[in-house]
Amino acid sequence: MSPTEQVVGAAPPEGAEIVTPTGPDELAGFLADATESALRVAVWGGGTHRDLGYDTSFDVVVSTAGMSGIEEWIPDDLTVVVGAGTSVAELEAELNSGGQTALLPEQPGQATVGGVVATGSSGYARLRYGPTRDRILEVQAVTGDSRHIKGGGRVVKNVTGYDLPRLYTGSFGSLGVITSVCLKLWPLTEATATVVLDEVPPQEAVYRPRAVLQTPEGTRVLLSGTRREVDEIARRLGGERLEGLHLPDPVPGATVWSARVPPSMLPATVGRFPPDTSYVAQHGVGEVTFSADDLEFVTDLRTWAEEAGGAVVRVRGHSDLDPWGTPPATLELQRRIVAAFDPARILERGRLPGGL
Amino acid sequence: MGLVEELTALLGEERLTVDPFALFMYSTDAGASRGSADIVVFPETTQEVAEIVRIVSRHDVPIVARGAGTGLAAGAVPSEGGVVVSMTRMNQIEEVDVENRTAWVGPGVINLDLSVATSPLGLHFAPDPSSQSVCTVGGNVANNSGGPHCLAEGSTVAHVLALEVVLADGETVTLGSSAPDPLGLDLRGVMIGSEGTLGLVTRILVRLLPNPPDVRTLLLAFDTVEDAAATVSGIIAAGVVPAALEMMDQAMAVAVENWLHGGLPVEAAALLLAEVVGETAAVEAEAELIRRVGTENRARSIELTADEEKRAMLWKGRKSAFGAVAQTAPDYYLHDTVVPRTRLVETLTQIYEIAERHQLAIMNVFHAGDGNLHPLIAYDAEDHQQTERVKKAASEMVEVCVSRGGVLSGEHGIGLEKRDYMPMLFTPTDLDAQARLKECFDPEGIFNPTKILPLGSRCFDLGSRPVPDGAWV
Repeated sequence: MSPTEQVVGAAPPEGAEIVTPTGPDELAGFLADATESALRVAVWGGGTHRDLGYDTSFDVVVSTAGMSGIEEWIPDDLTVVVGAGTSVAELEAELNSGGQTALLPEQPGQATVGGVVATGSSGYARLRYGPTRDRILEVQAVTGDSRHIKGGGRVVKNVTGYDLPRLYTGSFGSLGVITSVCLKLWPLTEATATVVLDEVPPQEAVYRPRAVLQTPEGTRVLLSGTRREVDEIARRLGGERLEGLHLPDPVPGATVWSARVPPSMLPATVGRFPPDTSYVAQHGVGEVTFSADDLEFVTDLRTWAEEAGGAVVRVRGHSDLDPWGTPPATLELQRRIVAAFDPARILERGRLPGGL
Repeated sequence: MGLVEELTALLGEERLTVDPFALFMYSTDAGASRGSADIVVFPETTQEVAEIVRIVSRHDVPIVARGAGTGLAAGAVPSEGGVVVSMTRMNQIEEVDVENRTAWVGPGVINLDLSVATSPLGLHFAPDPSSQSVCTVGGNVANNSGGPHCLAEGSTVAHVLALEVVLADGETVTLGSSAPDPLGLDLRGVMIGSEGTLGLVTRILVRLLPNPPDVRTLLLAFDTVEDAAATVSGIIAAGVVPAALEMMDQAMAVAVENWLHGGLPVEAAALLLAEVVGETAAVEAEAELIRRVGTENRARSIELTADEEKRAMLWKGRKSAFGAVAQTAPDYYLHDTVVPRTRLVETLTQIYEIAERHQLAIMNVFHAGDGNLHPLIAYDAEDHQQTERVKKAASEMVEVCVSRGGVLSGEHGIGLEKRDYMPMLFTPTDLDAQARLKECFDPEGIFNPTKILPLGSRCFDLGSRPVPDGAWV
């Protein structure tokens, strides 16, 4: 299996009952029945993030495939409204053809927009452009008890009511099935380049790089901006310059983890890895994805990261170790919120930290 | 013991007031609404805030948090009476973490003081509301404040990594982390912009940005608002999102120039203030691009500067615009709505029509880059007939913005002022979901009651069958 194949995604297990609603009304009808029958429901986009969080058993799968496509794209407003089941790769290809991007994860496999939002996944450009959650302007969802709700709005700046788009980002389906989102877009920059270096440059070396990615093979500084700016910074950094954005391959291995620490602790985190560990470290962000089967090592690293306010979570594969680690101290409050949106707890039950 | 006695025992007499004049002052904000505070307290520590919440909730009295009181939507107005908790003494900038580019600060820290304090370290706090020399970071968190420079960098929510919050039961929790993607639901995100209705924020972990190595500021003058708006769209279409992109109409430019004496081209119908920041090579190229797009859209003059003094003068003009109006009329009503950028011109045209119909003087200075309008109506509050016309016009302007796909507020919040407009944007089911969220944090409704959500928003019983959209029960 090549590294890229590993993150392509997965179809629901063979024999699973799959429901594919074509819109919020049909979805609400199904969820009302599911609530009545106390069915456990899995929410499925591209199946790329199923290993993130607790394994949940389910009676039926809701696929978002029937709610896909661009509903409204207004380039001059830098906004696009898309169905949850829209393929990230296809959306980005379409937006790129119009000179724009939603800055969604760059190696999405079969991931859907709804899945990226529900899992709160971000791409490498977050160092420069912020995480995905800062670009979700509006969210529409059907709650566990089948209410079709909307939060946020289709404008790039908004403080009108509670921030449901951020609440839904990273909620793993527990608050409802996301049906569509409005995303904030960015124009594609004039130029991009990748500078390959042996060492990680100090953070003062570049004003706002797009990403600084370290792997066992070396460091790549990703740049985007005007042609003159990219040329100038690349020259200053030295090293080998490649045109365009050259991302490292996704981390190979059966079990892949993500360590999240305050950015200043990233070098020390990487320093703790046993020799021959595969990893991609995002400097300035504080996230490093790595492969490890030695559960004792992962446990130690987790304890260390958690003491600093961070976490080590499983992103791919299976193991006997808790996939999330210590749940947040606000678990009871989170439990109340989940119950307010899915009182019968039918959606992705038990998936969240703390088993919510 | 009575409430006053209990709070006095906690804080001492000097950090609590029931003086009628003080209560009067703390019963309003920078807007037009007035409530009636019963007690004002000035805590200095998180423990005191937690104790205040425990004491006050036992007495079943509302708690209203307050920063500098610069809000315009009555978010800090004690409309139901109760205890106003002034956060101004919690104004410590704790250790700045240069490596992680963060700092823990108290909610009472003044926005500009934070950037001034971190400037020697080469860092700043990006949100820069026009009121930044007086408004507090806690107030910024409550309203998810923006400012001109949030076009490229986002509002307050993008610059706050964690919050220490006292919840309704008096428990103190930390939401968020300096590490990315903390586990569980994003309660930090929900707390920001919640206008003091979910808890009391006692400490804030801000994200600081590096000061840009170079900057260029451009002032472009146009004969029509349309050309200025087309320039805004053109710049973005060309692949550049400037750090700031502000527009001022002629009426506002005249008012500002009369006060500033900065040589603004007041004969123009619209001025555009654009700023690009970054590496020298970047700002040179981007400034050139803005100049080209401006020229293509018939700019009558374009002034480009990297000079710190000139820049400071231009920004002083922009950020003091609302104060400059004081020479025109004793009072002003300032709106805050957002429309999609492509609807700016048609929305402005309608706003001018509304003002004319109600015989009101209107000026506009706003964040053009993100479609955040700030129509300002100058008037005399002593003239009751005129005041009524102002209210009516303001309401019509909200309707116009919403009908153009806009929202009620971009950075000032909903508070009381816009609460009853919420059904224009949200269905009863949407509002009910928001009310449920509020209830999860604050089941007894002690924090800033009656704000944000219209009365009766919580329209279903938990777990009952849903009611179709559009039906009130």
